[in-house]
Amino acid sequence: MLVVLVRRLANIVPTLAAVIAVIFLLFSVLPGSFVSAMNEDGRTTIDPAVMERMRKEMGLDDPLPTRFAKYVAHTAMGDLGTSFRTREPVTKLIGNRLWPSLKLVFTAMAFAIVVGVPLGFIAALKPGSVVDTISMVGAISGLSLSQFWLGLMLMYLFALKLQWLPSFGYGDGGLRYLALPAIALGVGPMALLARTTRAAVLEVLNADFVRTARSKGMSERRVVEWHVLRNALVLVVTTIGLQFGSLMGAAVVVEKLFSWPGIGSLLVDSVFQRDIPTVQGCILLIVTFFLVINTLVDMAYVAIDPRIRYR
Amino acid sequence: MRTLVWSAIAAFALLGVGMAAAQQAQTPRKGGTIRMTGPYAASFGSLDPHVTPRAQDQIVNQAIHRPLYTWDTANNRLALELATDVKASDDGLVYTYKLRNDVFFHNGRKMTADDVIWSYTRIMDGTKGYPGARYIRVIKGATEVEKGQAKEISGLKKIDDFTLEITLTDRVEPGYYLFSGTTAILPKEEVEKGNFAAHPVGLGPFKFKEHIPGSRVVAERFDKFYKPGKPYADKLEVLIMAEAAARDVAFRNKEIDTSILGPAQYVAYRADPELSKGLLEVAEMFTRAIQFNPSFKPFADKRVRQAFNYAIDTDLIIKRLVKDKAYRATSWLPPSSAAFDKTMKPYAFDQAKAKKLLADAGYPDGFEFELTTSQNESWGLPIVEAIIPMLAKVGIKLKPKLVEVTVLTEIAMKGEHQAFIGSNLTGPDSLATLRCYYSKTPRTACNYTSFSNPQFDKLLDGAAQESDAAKRNDLLRQANNLLYEEAPVWFFNYNKAVLAYQPWIHGLQANPTEITHQYPEDVWVDTRSPAK
Amino acid sequence: MRGGLSLWVGGTLVAVALFVAIAAPLIALTDPVMGANLMNAEIPPGLEFPFGTDAQGRDIYSRIVYGARISLTVGIVSQVCNSLIGVTLGLTAGYWGGLWDDLVSGITNLMLAIPSLIFALAIMAILGPGLVSLLIALGLTSWSYSCRIARAQVLSLKSQGYIQAARILGYGDLRIMFTQVLPNILGPLIVIATLGMGGAILAEAALSFLGLGIRPPFPSWGSMLSEAREQITTAPWLSVFPGLAIFVTVLGLNLLGDGLRDILDPQSTTRRGA
Repeated sequence: MLVVLVRRLANIVPTLAAVIAVIFLLFSVLPGSFVSAMNEDGRTTIDPAVMERMRKEMGLDDPLPTRFAKYVAHTAMGDLGTSFRTREPVTKLIGNRLWPSLKLVFTAMAFAIVVGVPLGFIAALKPGSVVDTISMVGAISGLSLSQFWLGLMLMYLFALKLQWLPSFGYGDGGLRYLALPAIALGVGPMALLARTTRAAVLEVLNADFVRTARSKGMSERRVVEWHVLRNALVLVVTTIGLQFGSLMGAAVVVEKLFSWPGIGSLLVDSVFQRDIPTVQGCILLIVTFFLVINTLVDMAYVAIDPRIRYR
Repeated sequence: MRTLVWSAIAAFALLGVGMAAAQQAQTPRKGGTIRMTGPYAASFGSLDPHVTPRAQDQIVNQAIHRPLYTWDTANNRLALELATDVKASDDGLVYTYKLRNDVFFHNGRKMTADDVIWSYTRIMDGTKGYPGARYIRVIKGATEVEKGQAKEISGLKKIDDFTLEITLTDRVEPGYYLFSGTTAILPKEEVEKGNFAAHPVGLGPFKFKEHIPGSRVVAERFDKFYKPGKPYADKLEVLIMAEAAARDVAFRNKEIDTSILGPAQYVAYRADPELSKGLLEVAEMFTRAIQFNPSFKPFADKRVRQAFNYAIDTDLIIKRLVKDKAYRATSWLPPSSAAFDKTMKPYAFDQAKAKKLLADAGYPDGFEFELTTSQNESWGLPIVEAIIPMLAKVGIKLKPKLVEVTVLTEIAMKGEHQAFIGSNLTGPDSLATLRCYYSKTPRTACNYTSFSNPQFDKLLDGAAQESDAAKRNDLLRQANNLLYEEAPVWFFNYNKAVLAYQPWIHGLQANPTEITHQYPEDVWVDTRSPAK
Repeated sequence: MRGGLSLWVGGTLVAVALFVAIAAPLIALTDPVMGANLMNAEIPPGLEFPFGTDAQGRDIYSRIVYGARISLTVGIVSQVCNSLIGVTLGLTAGYWGGLWDDLVSGITNLMLAIPSLIFALAIMAILGPGLVSLLIALGLTSWSYSCRIARAQVLSLKSQGYIQAARILGYGDLRIMFTQVLPNILGPLIVIATLGMGGAILAEAALSFLGLGIRPPFPSWGSMLSEAREQITTAPWLSVFPGLAIFVTVLGLNLLGDGLRDILDPQSTTRRGA
């Protein structure tokens, strides 16, 4: 098992390498540069001679192939470069933001699973009923909401009007500060999970072997618990995995809205400040996260239902 | 009888409380925590003051570090900070400083002239682009260090541990150059440890405690600060809050002590009977304007540029859009400048006159042009959107080109714009500010309008040579007024910085160079503060 | 929910949105750009301005009405673009196989690995804000799904021998692709495109919020939302209406897509009912 896992993870490397190349090329054509972005707040003045020095110090004027080669060489050794903005190693910058990001993503996913899966399950057990209709309408609405608008409305209602929760920021990192961003981020996956669970459960409920089990006289409850759960789990787990993997990238908007100090907001800020090493580092992390989770999901997929083998 | 006794006791108690409260308002209390906000960005750049020119970083760096001069907000002029006395030579090029002998770094060591020399030399390191280099360059020999031709700045001479002689390259007031936070004096041994940005050590009133990236910086009182009895507070926190709406909520929830207000909140706070009592307003040294590029034919004609100024109802925009959080610009220099002419009348809102000027210049049907702008709410897109209909009425069709600030800066420096809108630093050194319009100043430096006017040049040359302050200011005033008449830009406004503060915080200064750059040793909180 | 109901409700909502977009000049109250009157700034919803006015004094209702044009254009054009790219790549990859297939599959994996919002953000930053840039950014980054579907369908047909049979009959490659493969994937394609339109509209809102959306001063729902953010405490109605507009339109598209899926793509796994 471990060997297979390691082998699978090794498969990520070519994709990752391709991603690094694409991202590097993409961001090398970005107009503007870090030096000219320093006046973003309109209060900072910088004179041209210093700008020249900065450009040289950051290697902004080296030819593209040189920069690329240097970047690849460094990244392979784990050195993601130095941030233009803070002149600290990018790994340190990202390291500081990693825990808040993970916290947000995990909490959002937990919310999505805890609310979405049971919802879909219950809806599937009584198809066509009022419960079913309401749940599915709710789910599809959840998918139609702009995350940013949802966050804004949540902020307005719970933080500004009712004053139950703080409206922004990390604070002490406690649940109070985590609640609104996690919900705003988690509603989408929750809705998708509800729908997927419902469909998966329905699919299985109507499958042959369940009919067989029923005819054999197993009690309804046991039928549901044993077979349905296990087989529906495959599809649900896959969906959870895919959502989870892409959540870190999707968290960008929510993080910016709530001033959550995670990788997403670091990425966006760095793009606007043209802090290219940090941008590349962040994207690398997000993509790696996605690929690793995907691989784990594939493995779990196989573990849950040994009948399924990869082609 | 008993009621009488109780009433008397109650009355005395009330009196006592009242007196105590009154006392609180008068004597600075030692202790407590000051909670300020960093409103300009979502994070800090660096806590090494030499590395970063950003306004947000300076908020923290002003508490932990200090340069040679500071800004005396009470009297609106420069003040010596790390020296007690300065003597200028007759030719105005050599300044001899008597440094304070009671300045300690946070690691316990006393500051000497060597530290000043080392700090300034570090800034001129040619392999690094330290922003302070533009200021230190005014010292003789600094450019040679920058170019790698020398190891030491020849214009810095140590007479003894507490006497320093600085020789300049030009007749300028060195204070304007050496009060920037990017020229702070740092301890060599701490910087060379390598981890300075993460653990800064300075000589300011507060010493660094912790930095939570993306969230806040915490600093503690430094007991050996050279101003006796100060700082008052035990702790200083600078919380990052780039969103005005977020600051609004936090302020109302009493989670922060100060908050920079945006235009929308300014209206709300002014209307609120309680909140309006805690507003600190100051005209900052930033002029917002649309800068015309004369290489675009219509803008080469003064009449067209003036027509622009007549066609736009600037007062209405300031009143309605900016919510009165700005002062109408009547020249390039801000009101705090000594060369500002208070009698100057602004361009009237007169669209008929604008149309006539345009017709005279050969554009009776107007013309079309592209205005490059950023998203900024105070000097960007919303302003542009407001003037589109106004200009349309005189036949000028404005096409906005929205770009990011970094792209805007590059476009302006390369001169690829027809016009762009932005905010420009216009103080405190008025001569240096007006230099931007000197014909020999290149576009990349700040002459974005490629302005060239011989009369203006003459006034400026005269002012640079003039040693009498009053005469110099007079020459600058004439130059400033000439600029207004030539209208190389559409004069929009000077920023009004508004700082909302809680009733329990005292000692805040109306600093026109930047209101968030408070000198925290003068700030104190009374016991009403919810922070411990 | 029965397929029929979501089809009807979704279809109606989308039709309303389309009508609003097309009939904008007729049903709007003022010009969305020139109708700015600073004297009318930030008036709450009322009789004269049903949705209130924004900070520039523009009628929000009119801007939402005109904004429908931008949002729907973004949705439709970008999805058409995505479908074209995806189908072309997927069809050809599955049909000819070999190196081309490997290349396409590799690129598809790459596209799936990079979060689409970030990719679009980068492209917008390179091209600068604007409608055309937005169409390019959104039209070039979400074709992976349709590519996969097209490719899978071709492979399936191949394995069933249809392609072989058609070749024997003398049909040219192109003809086979058009007459044999395409009709089979049209159903799922339409579903993906419809759902994708909702996604594109949401993406436009997100990009505008981050500062790289539609060029001013033309109204788009996303940029209206991002402008409203600052005023959330003082003028909350600025955020409500554009957000509602986005929600209703995207909901309609999602419902429509679901309904279509029930009709056109019966093998999908999110079937309703027993």
